[in-house]
Formats: sequence, C-alpha cells, structure tokens
Amino acid sequence: MRAERLILRGRGRATGGFEGEVVLSLQPFGFWQGIDPQTGIVIDKRHDLYGTSLKGKAFVFPYGRGSTGTPGIFLEAVRNGCAPAAIVNVTSEPMIVMCALLAEAFLKISIPIVDALDVNPLEALRTGDRVRIDGAAGTIELVSGS
Amino acid sequence: MHLTDDERRIQTGELGEPQRLALRVLVKLGEAYGAERLVEIRSAHLVASSYQIAGEAGIDIYTQLVEQGARVAVRTTSDPGSIDFSRWRDFKTPADYAARQLKIAELLDRMGVIPTWTCTPYTTFNVPRFGEHLGWSESSAVVFANSVIGARTNRLAAYVDLCAALVGRVPYFGLHMPERRRGEVLFELDPELSANFADHYFPGLGYLIGKLAGDRIPAILGVREASFDQLKAFGAAAAASGSVALYHMVGITPEARTLEEALGGHTPVERIPLGRQEIANVMAQMSTGQGGPVDVVGVGCPHASLDQMRRYAGLLHGKQVHPGVQLWICTNTVVEAMARTMGYVETIERAGAKLMVGTCHNDCPLGAWGFRRLVTDSGKFAYYTPTTVGTECIFASTEACIEAAITGRAERS
Repeated sequence: MRAERLILRGRGRATGGFEGEVVLSLQPFGFWQGIDPQTGIVIDKRHDLYGTSLKGKAFVFPYGRGSTGTPGIFLEAVRNGCAPAAIVNVTSEPMIVMCALLAEAFLKISIPIVDALDVNPLEALRTGDRVRIDGAAGTIELVSGS
Repeated sequence: MHLTDDERRIQTGELGEPQRLALRVLVKLGEAYGAERLVEIRSAHLVASSYQIAGEAGIDIYTQLVEQGARVAVRTTSDPGSIDFSRWRDFKTPADYAARQLKIAELLDRMGVIPTWTCTPYTTFNVPRFGEHLGWSESSAVVFANSVIGARTNRLAAYVDLCAALVGRVPYFGLHMPERRRGEVLFELDPELSANFADHYFPGLGYLIGKLAGDRIPAILGVREASFDQLKAFGAAAAASGSVALYHMVGITPEARTLEEALGGHTPVERIPLGRQEIANVMAQMSTGQGGPVDVVGVGCPHASLDQMRRYAGLLHGKQVHPGVQLWICTNTVVEAMARTMGYVETIERAGAKLMVGTCHNDCPLGAWGFRRLVTDSGKFAYYTPTTVGTECIFASTEACIEAAITGRAERS
C-alpha cells in the first residue's frame, strides 16, 4: 500500500510544471530510434513500451541512452506536440537535460525534469498514476493512484 | 559560473538574440555539470545538418536564427546530410524529402557553415591540432579528435553544437580538463592476439570495448600498430556501441606514449584481458542474420579516406558487381574529387559500384529499396543499420564485403 499523500523530493534538472498521467518503464530509453516524433509512440521493438504513446505524459524511466542526434528527434516531437510533457529519471543523463534546455530556448516550451529522488520513482510510481511535478522545486506529488 | 566581460555582453543581448539564446543554453549545461567557466573553441562541427535528425523543428529553429541574423563565430563544418546532393535521385530519395534537406543547406549556408557534409571533417577543412578545445558532436568525429589528434571536446548534442558555434565557446568540464582525460579501464590484449591482429579486428575490438567500457575512458595495451583508417574504424565502433568519446591506445595515440601516461599515473579501476576468443564472439554478435543472398553492401563508414578509395579500386579492378547487389561507398566531396583525379572513381564505377557522397546508409531514407540483407565492414553501420535501414546485417572484412558484392552472397564468418 502506498501512503495517501506521497511526495517525492529530488533534484530539478529542468524547470516547468506538469499535472497528468505517468507512463513508467524499468528499462533505459533512447529517444533517437526510440520514438516516432509524428505520434509520440515508442518504435523501439526491443523496448517494453513498444507501441505505447508518451505524448503529454510524465515519462518515468531509469536513465536515457544518449545518441548525439537525440535532441533532433526530441525537439521534432515537441514541435508536433507529441513529446512527453515531463520526465522523471533515477539519474538523468546529459542528453536528456540538453533536450529540455533546447526546447525552452528555441521552442519556448518547458518540460520539467526531475531526478535523484529520495525514493526510487520506479518503485513508488505506476503507469496510470496522476502526478503533479514541479521542475524548479524538484518535487513529484502523487495526486491519485492508478 | 564565472563569465568574462565579453560573455556578459552576449548574455545581455548586446550581440543579438541568437548569441544570447546560445549562451543561455551553454551556461545552463555548464551549471548542470559543475563547470566554473566557459572555454573558447577553435572549431565546431554540427550533427543536426541532416534532415533526418533536424526535421521540421530544425528548419524552424534555423529559420528563426537566420532571421535574427545568426552567424557562426568559429570555423564550423556540417555532418552528413540526408541526401547525396548531386545524385539523390539515383538513391530513390523522394523529391519532397530532398527539398527539405536543401532548405537546411541554404539556412546553414546563411549562418556561415562550411558545407563539408561529412562525419570525417578532419579529412577536409576542419583539422584540429593537439590540445585545442572544440565544440563537436558527431560521435565518431569526437572520438577521433580526442583520441587520435589529442584535441579536447565533449560529445555535444544536436543544436548544442550550434550554440557552441554561435558564441565560439563551450562550458569547461569533462574532456576539456586534463585530469578528466586519463584512462580508467585497462584492456590488455594477450600476446597471441597482439601478434595476429587483422585489419577487421579494429572495428570488432572497438565494438567490444564500447560495450565493456560504457562511459569510462578505455586504455588499450597490446595493439602494435594502427593506421589512420584503423583508428577511425575502431573509434567509430566504440562510440556507437558504448559512449566512448576518448580512448588511449598505448604507444599509438598521442596522450598514451606509455602505459603510465595513458592512465595518468593512476591505477586502473578495472583490468580486462582480451584474446582471440573475445574478438570472435563480438564479431559473431555484430552480425544479426544467417547469411545468404545480399542486396546491399555498405563501406565507407565513417566516410572513406583516399587510402580506402585506392583499396576499393584495387579490389574492384576488372571485376563486376553482381546485378542484384548495390555496392555503395560513402565518402565526402573532398576525397571524391581527389579519388576521381587519381582514377579510382573510374575503376569503382566501371565495376558497377556507386559513390554515395555527403551522406550514408544511416542518414538517407532507403525505404523504397526494400533491402533485406546488408553486408558491411563498419562496426558503426553494424550497430545502427538493423534499426535505421531495417535490414539483417552481416559484418565482414573489407575484402569479404567487396567479394560479397561481386558474388551476391555472404556467409556469416
């Protein structure tokens, strides 16, 4: 059983606010070759979220696998309104943090990123949970469980 | 982060909006990694020059920057595009797709980028020197510049490289710092492997070390000699299968004249012995299929050098590529021009092979071809092609690749 009012506290890596649904994976994820930027659907056949849409979700996963092309695909998804709207990692790798910085600078869209949480988000959260994320404060609040 | 007076003027927007935005991204990146300052760079190299990577978002961003008067502040070159600029129709590239790549070309041109369209800018007009700071992104070029030349660059990402180009600076952290460049994990080749190290073991060893090293800096002991092209193939494979941005090959690369220098006087965190069996195992993993009829053979990843063009011409001299096979040799316009002057291109084309210039299998849309089985001598192609082109892949030596193109068949080695 989870606590009624669960708040996870960590490090805000990119600012912005979010309230919505969680999609969670226990596997690392690479956006390059991993997501269709026209739809937001996972296209990596080796990934357990294959066929799942990340569009508008809080995407919770351990860490990113970074190709230098990552921001290309990520910003294309942002432009199309098909990117995740928030990211939660165990540890965020540089490429994913750069994606959020670039989206903010060039497309004027903020995507909060939070990592290094006091509780392992892969165990504390579930797909379908409704959460509120504050990228500046580095907090994730469970609004209602799935 | 400490900023100089010049950098503060950029920050306030005195030098224009593009520089202000670019500096903001670089400062935030630096803050995320604990950088205390920026460092001036000698050159930049852009990976989001390809439409496949940049997409419509890239065109929007570049258009906005050009309208705001953006100009690169340092020598800046472009990675491969998504089309062969003079022969895209021969590669069945859709016309509307080619038009979008041409739009990117026009925008980069207006920002002052040198259109090298190559992953080996160091064979053209962007040749770093030992110890220089750079802002490069293309992973195979980054690992070459750091390891083989001894220049200093982190592996930047798409658009961050352009930010670096616009302000001529990057945050000073990671591989820019001498103390962050020492080998951390030591790979020791056994004497038998060391004495019998074949040409195609270089991409194989790179692929293996990339997987084992992860994000740690590898030092390699036991490679007796290595050519420019072998180091290029090794690094590209290691950067694809892992995220290796710098390696030290003892006795070969400039920051590894001795084992002690390669490790910076420290004890390695791990020592990993490698023998012929490990190389054989990884080369088996690099092939995804069982072998059989071949429809496409890809060499020149990273882009072929003049030496490699001579080698392909020698192997193809008087031969004919099988009618059911496309043999594509990827290179840049500089090498192409000299290879043409020297007669290699004529020999290659007479044999029925095609040059694919300014792009490669991984950057072009190849859906219209319906390829099923690719044969390559590149560890990087072997890593990416099953996803990018969607084919089965057979990894083989350069000689075996050309042989497969001639016979129309390849077997798993």
